[in-house]
Amino acid sequence: MSQRSQIAWFWAVIVVIAAVAVVATSLTRPGHMTAATSSAQASGYQIADDVSHCGVGWGQADASDDAAAAAGAGDTAAPAPAKVAGGVQDFTIANTNINGEDVTLQNVDSKQVFLELESIGPGAKVPARVVLAKGRYRFVCYPMDENPVLGATVEVGAAPAGSVLTPGVVPIDNNQLILAAKAYGAWVDGRLPTLQKQVAQLDDDAEEGDLAAAKADWLTAHLSYETLGAAYDAFGDFDAAINGTPASGTTALTDPDLTGFHKIEALLWSGAPAAKIAATTRQLKTDVAALAAAPGTDRVDPLDVGLRAHEIVENAIQFELTGQTDAGSHTNLATIDANLSGSRQALSFLAGLMKPRYDRLSDTEAALDSTQKLVETFRRSDGSWTPLPSLTRMQHEQLDAAMDRTVELLAPVAEIATPRKVAP
Amino acid sequence: MNDAAPPADAQQSGAGRPSRRGFLGALAGAAAGAAAGAAAVAVTGVAAPADAAAAKPPVGYDFHGAHQAGILAPVRRAAAVLALDVTAGDRGELQELLQTVTDRARFLTSGGPVPDAGITAPPADSGILGDHIVPDGLTVTVGAGTALFDDRFGLASAKPAKLRTMEDFPNDNLDRGICDGDLLLQFEADDQDIVAHGVREVLRATRGGMQLRWRKDGFSSPPRPSGTPRNLMGFKDGTSNPERTDAKLMDQLVWAHGGQNGEPAWAEGGSYLAVRVIRMLVEFWDRVGLDEQQQMIGRHRDSGAPLTMTREHDDPHFENDPNGDVIQLDAHIRLANPRISQTADSRILRRAFNYDSGIDSNGNLDQGLIFTAFNQDIERQFVTIQRRLVDEPLVDYISPVGGGYYFALPGVRDASDWLGKGMFA
Repeated sequence: MSQRSQIAWFWAVIVVIAAVAVVATSLTRPGHMTAATSSAQASGYQIADDVSHCGVGWGQADASDDAAAAAGAGDTAAPAPAKVAGGVQDFTIANTNINGEDVTLQNVDSKQVFLELESIGPGAKVPARVVLAKGRYRFVCYPMDENPVLGATVEVGAAPAGSVLTPGVVPIDNNQLILAAKAYGAWVDGRLPTLQKQVAQLDDDAEEGDLAAAKADWLTAHLSYETLGAAYDAFGDFDAAINGTPASGTTALTDPDLTGFHKIEALLWSGAPAAKIAATTRQLKTDVAALAAAPGTDRVDPLDVGLRAHEIVENAIQFELTGQTDAGSHTNLATIDANLSGSRQALSFLAGLMKPRYDRLSDTEAALDSTQKLVETFRRSDGSWTPLPSLTRMQHEQLDAAMDRTVELLAPVAEIATPRKVAP
Repeated sequence: MNDAAPPADAQQSGAGRPSRRGFLGALAGAAAGAAAGAAAVAVTGVAAPADAAAAKPPVGYDFHGAHQAGILAPVRRAAAVLALDVTAGDRGELQELLQTVTDRARFLTSGGPVPDAGITAPPADSGILGDHIVPDGLTVTVGAGTALFDDRFGLASAKPAKLRTMEDFPNDNLDRGICDGDLLLQFEADDQDIVAHGVREVLRATRGGMQLRWRKDGFSSPPRPSGTPRNLMGFKDGTSNPERTDAKLMDQLVWAHGGQNGEPAWAEGGSYLAVRVIRMLVEFWDRVGLDEQQQMIGRHRDSGAPLTMTREHDDPHFENDPNGDVIQLDAHIRLANPRISQTADSRILRRAFNYDSGIDSNGNLDQGLIFTAFNQDIERQFVTIQRRLVDEPLVDYISPVGGGYYFALPGVRDASDWLGKGMFA
């Protein structure tokens, strides 16, 4: 997931002022772009040495209009906007800048973005294809370390019947996501005192040698932690200490370096002596306290809220639904239940931003809820959980299907809730 | 193995394998097919993106028709057989599932540009084939298992008359974990990446609606050096398949007919599909002398000719060898297809694929055959043949471990039709 954090609108380094030109060619033949054609047109539309041009060439009938197109395109007082047929638009976008640039294509009126090309290298040509409905569109270019450049508005005609349109969305900028991230971080932070109390209870019972009580405490505390969305290193080294899994070739019981919930689980459920268990619960209490005291646990990266909503469930599928993390308590289904709560929680902080942007948001919420309901059918009346291996094949398939469908629906959330540049 | 059915593998077929050399070849194949009176397989040339000029032109099979295209089309080089259990919650969701499978199969088998998701979602396609999907001979054949007609979807009264759970035959060693399933999807294409892509995209579009139960991937070998492809015992396999371009014969042996033989009306144009995953104990087999191998099969290994004759497609003329002096009475080809009038209607249309799937716990290779065969009536054909084969000498060297019986659904007639629509009428 590291590439996701490399949101590339701070492109690499080297600061030199240079030209940006997006050379675009619109072909009316759907899906049919030949290398020969595009390169010929691209070279015909190369514009040099100006930071004020973007999207030059879209709507221009032929390359001999080169100079005229260049002159008109960046000029806000340009005469009549160019008109192109609706439907498939094939572009070859050439960055003639000597630095990288990002390019988007937006609807001028709705502000929806239909295309976003990040990190086009200097001198590079990138093919792109969108299918547009009737409307007014323009390219927006973001040369590195320069102000955005607005391309000329192009009027696109109605798309032919049966066209599969490229969906557009109004991008969300960093500031909007910071609010969601702060709220999410505050929620996580607010949960930590509860976790601390639960871990302290676990430690008390272990110290007293009441291992039956300790087992119940362990589950309560572990589930609290599993709602917090520690997926993919959200808590960094704290997560490794608190909820780490055994090193390759070892088990939770045998790994000498393992600490945290799964080490305690292995000891509790394998009949280890209370004193040995108490040593590990004491350590957990210390590690959770360190997490609670650490500066910045409530500071969630704006990128991470959407990612968490999605990846908590990916994690649950990869590590819990397979039983991989089970160190003896057979409570993977309980963990999945907690993970679904965690995903739902992360999603809740994005609901306002998602609602106008994601037409399957309510399906997604409903899928999380119904999957959770299904999982909870495996909790027995005494509060214990059915071990994963006890599921029948059909039960397992139903659960797999529900989780798979949910995670498919969550994937677009992470895409839409990525902080992006927002053009005026 | 099951030799019950004859050559017809592309090379001999009038409908012809679509030429991989070009569009014109594909059209010629279609014309020849039409001339032979076998309209069932239509071949479409699909224009490739021009920047792929260096690659071979893709070939596709018409998705729409009275029958699913993958049944009579020539056997392709790469295959994946997927059995799935339906997790859709009710009848309406099952209909949606089958509509989605139909839509995906229709797109993948005809090709086109990959739609763009913009910035609203992850890419709409895995990208395995680049940004323009080519059909490359892809077919997706869909069958229903008997479990689909239980009480979950209100389909009990629509069940094809002869559909049932595959039994354990006397020499079987079935693992029920790799048997049966509500649905069967058989992907075939000229190249393995097309199959891998098709599998990924269909499953991605149907998460929530169905889950994989078991899967086996296989391949069909090129002629070595000529004739019918060989199996992993080294023998040409499928020499006596019935001629798939013979529409009348297909009507008698392959297609179920609605209203006849107890079949519901919607079954018209469908076909019973028997799938058997047959492990070959290849290390043992390789330690058996050639003469003994040939006696067990009844054919010369190298030429494929019956032991009584000279060339692969020669009739063995069992009647001239009534005591089994040349071809043993229990030789595989003799039991599978005795070639007498009483057994003519038990012939099946085979599509066999070799598989090569790693190793077993003893370090032996897990190689074998994915036997698939289409039948008008599974009892009259596959089951009857299988009973004749009980305790044949070959059983010491093979071990059927998985598979099932399915009903390959009738074809999708047009853009508004979908797989299995008739079941819900």
